[in-house]
Amino acid sequence: MSARHELFYHTEATLRLVDHELSEHHAVHAVHAAPDVPETRDAPRAAVAPLSGLAALPLILERALAEIEAVLASLRDNRTALETATVEKLQRTSDKLREVTTVTEVAATDILDALERAQRHVDELDACDESGDRGHARATRDLLREELFAMMGCLQFQDITTQQLAYASSVLTDMENRLLAIARLFDPAATLARTASAAPDPRTYAPDATALHAEERQALADEIFAR
Amino acid sequence: MKFLVVDDSSTMRRIVVNSLQRIGFADTVEAGDGREALEKFDASVKFVITDWNMPNMTGTELAKALREREDGRHIPILMVTARSVREDIIAAMEAGVNNYIVKPFTPQILKEKIDALLSVAAAG
Repeated sequence: MSARHELFYHTEATLRLVDHELSEHHAVHAVHAAPDVPETRDAPRAAVAPLSGLAALPLILERALAEIEAVLASLRDNRTALETATVEKLQRTSDKLREVTTVTEVAATDILDALERAQRHVDELDACDESGDRGHARATRDLLREELFAMMGCLQFQDITTQQLAYASSVLTDMENRLLAIARLFDPAATLARTASAAPDPRTYAPDATALHAEERQALADEIFAR
Repeated sequence: MKFLVVDDSSTMRRIVVNSLQRIGFADTVEAGDGREALEKFDASVKFVITDWNMPNMTGTELAKALREREDGRHIPILMVTARSVREDIIAAMEAGVNNYIVKPFTPQILKEKIDALLSVAAAG
């Protein structure tokens, strides 16, 4: 149990204790204030009279307790909702963001490697011009085209990371709305300092989009379509 | 043979179109989502390559819409998508997609899938 959760329970327990004490006090006061109570009892009516102003206090406190309990219950509900609905999503989002970094770096490295190879091919073409070796020049041009084509393929990471970032954005927007709902428990007029951002259209991204393990994932698709 | 390439990412459209040109299919038409694809689809289109996640109309919705049309009932539809969960792949198949490529893809896989679908279409 977290410290905050424990605090909620302690607070509620304390309030229940106070409620219990107040109820007892209220009961005793009611007995003393009843018209058929003889004045010969321990508390004479004269002594009870000043308490009549306080008679409403237990009721007020009871009502306050009920309200506090409702707020606590609502907080607990929201806490549970936050935990179950968003903690897992946040962890997944964190993983996705780490993957964005990795995928971007891998793509940049692949492109740089291909550029270096392309530069060497250009150098070879220069050498072919000098030597007049047309056969080697043709083969080198084909290799150069392959490298340029591979570089273009590497740029697919842009589409995948866009989808991963859209997913992360949707989780953050969801969190923003949930936190605002909690803030409104305490202040119904609570608003964001800025307009709440619209979540990305869920139709435009795949929540599980990844650039990793493409071969295994392709094998699964092939297996299903081969049936 | 004209290919209809559907993807909301202009980067991906360029990559697919470039790959198609490289394997000998230079006649292409592009669309940014399923709705635009339906507007551009006509009898001259002989092959559809579509992404799944797009605004307005997704790739699976496009596949279903094409299968309901007389001129789209038998057209080869190849999906190229980042979605790769088993349930998604099955859903794409049920929507009418003929084959499936997971992003990121290699030009070799694209060529293999296109060749396979064209030979099935030719046989049918």
